[in-house]
Amino acid sequence: MNLSRVAGAGVALLLLGAVAVAQEPGKRPSPKDKCPVCGMFVSKYPDWTATVAFQDGGLAWFDGAKDLFKFLADPGRFVPGRKATDVRAVTVTDYYGVTRVDAKEAFFVAGSDVFGPMGKELVPFGKKTEAEEFLRDHHGKKILRFGDVNRTVLEGLE
Amino acid sequence: MKRLHIPTWLERQRYLLDFTLSSLGRRKGKNLALTALYAMVVFGLASVLMYTQALRGEAMRILEGAPDVVVQRMVAGRHDLIPADRVERLSRIRGVQEARGRLWGYYYDASAKANLTFLVPEKFWGKAGEVVIGEGVARTRLAAPGEPFPVLASDGSVVILKVRETVPSPSELVSTDLVLLSEPDFRRLFGVPPDLYTDIALTVPNEKEVPMVAAKIRGQMPDSRPITRAEIARTYEAILDWRSGLVVLVLAAALLSFGIVAWDKASGLSADERREIGILKAIGWDTSEVLAVKAWEGAVISLSAFLVGLLLAYVHVFVTSAPLLTPVLKGWSTLYPSFRLTPTLNPFLVSTLFLLTVVPYTVATVVPAWRAATTDPDAVMRS
Repeated sequence: MNLSRVAGAGVALLLLGAVAVAQEPGKRPSPKDKCPVCGMFVSKYPDWTATVAFQDGGLAWFDGAKDLFKFLADPGRFVPGRKATDVRAVTVTDYYGVTRVDAKEAFFVAGSDVFGPMGKELVPFGKKTEAEEFLRDHHGKKILRFGDVNRTVLEGLE
Repeated sequence: MKRLHIPTWLERQRYLLDFTLSSLGRRKGKNLALTALYAMVVFGLASVLMYTQALRGEAMRILEGAPDVVVQRMVAGRHDLIPADRVERLSRIRGVQEARGRLWGYYYDASAKANLTFLVPEKFWGKAGEVVIGEGVARTRLAAPGEPFPVLASDGSVVILKVRETVPSPSELVSTDLVLLSEPDFRRLFGVPPDLYTDIALTVPNEKEVPMVAAKIRGQMPDSRPITRAEIARTYEAILDWRSGLVVLVLAAALLSFGIVAWDKASGLSADERREIGILKAIGWDTSEVLAVKAWEGAVISLSAFLVGLLLAYVHVFVTSAPLLTPVLKGWSTLYPSFRLTPTLNPFLVSTLFLLTVVPYTVATVVPAWRAATTDPDAVMRS
């Protein structure tokens, strides 16, 4: 067996993986993609779409940051076989620009008067200044980072 | 010996239909008049419904390409030119992705006796001194690509522009009266100073933020009026609903009188018809057969009237552009100067009309026949 060929194929696979990561933020949900948490069709709410990309190339769609965090708290409950360690990248949709941004860098405003498809939401922003202005305009309560969202916060959104 | 042939259900219905047609033929004048009247009512209703629906479709198609928010400056309640420095101020408002100053206006062309819309597109592809014109403009001014296009400027001088091409066809709907030109030419023709625009169009990616953006604009620039796409859509809807409602109201009188005539004709059986039913029963017809004949009668009249009315309405609205309705429904100068309707036939509309006209009439003919057919034939013939 030609070892270098095998190695070449491995590099090609890695490259393909890299391309997939690069294209993710621009990817649109198909009309059939459903949110694994609430079961609603995601493509109807382009201004709320959130995604979780897995190590094996799989992708899960969500219709809001709230359902995304519920999923991340216990992936196996919604998609059997998925573990928190499988998660490779997470994106949310920026409120003002309607573009997808990295959820781990995003700012989330809780308690505002803007509601998503699933009711009370954590409204995501790419920039802190945007989140602050939104908080003032829409009577938000506080700004959270990715790591701040825990069970208590999620329960407060029910 | 010849075997007795027992007709199948389908054959039976065919014989019954045959009988119905000849029976209708016996009272030809009366039935024809009824069908014609019936068709006229369907025609009127269908025309109004189709016409307003087509207009609504056109309006919504225009709106799809409209900006999310248009900001105008108001001076003493009148639309005025807006300073160019506001483009920058507006684009800084949170939620606004892009602000773009627009230049457009109307020009009365005395030689063509028509109002033309002059517009500077976002990216004008021609050179200065050139115009791109709509099909309608090309027709009325008899201007072809390469020919001169003289325009009377606001200072009284005649500016001679050159026709580059006519607007590519798919957008014919709004482009008929359109003249596209470069920004310097527009400013020179209409005497608009370089630091002013007609209005400013904003792109707001998140629809939910539009009301907040509009509120902020009102707060920061009290003399401006933000117009959102939803407001334009509401205006179109309101005007169309109000006008079609008006026409339907007028038609309601006709509909009501037809209803009375139809009810009278269909429900009150004449002595002739009662005798006919009696005889049919006496010679051995079943009640169900009598009812089938009556149902066929109602269906034949109402269905043919329905189809004729619908066809006439379609021709009236989409082929001849609704000459009977235009004066009432199309006072369009405030919105858009010219409309060409795209033929559409909405299955929902057709089935609504069908349910409103054919079904009640057919039912109305069957019920009294059922009453006559279930009584004793002897009593029916004697009464």
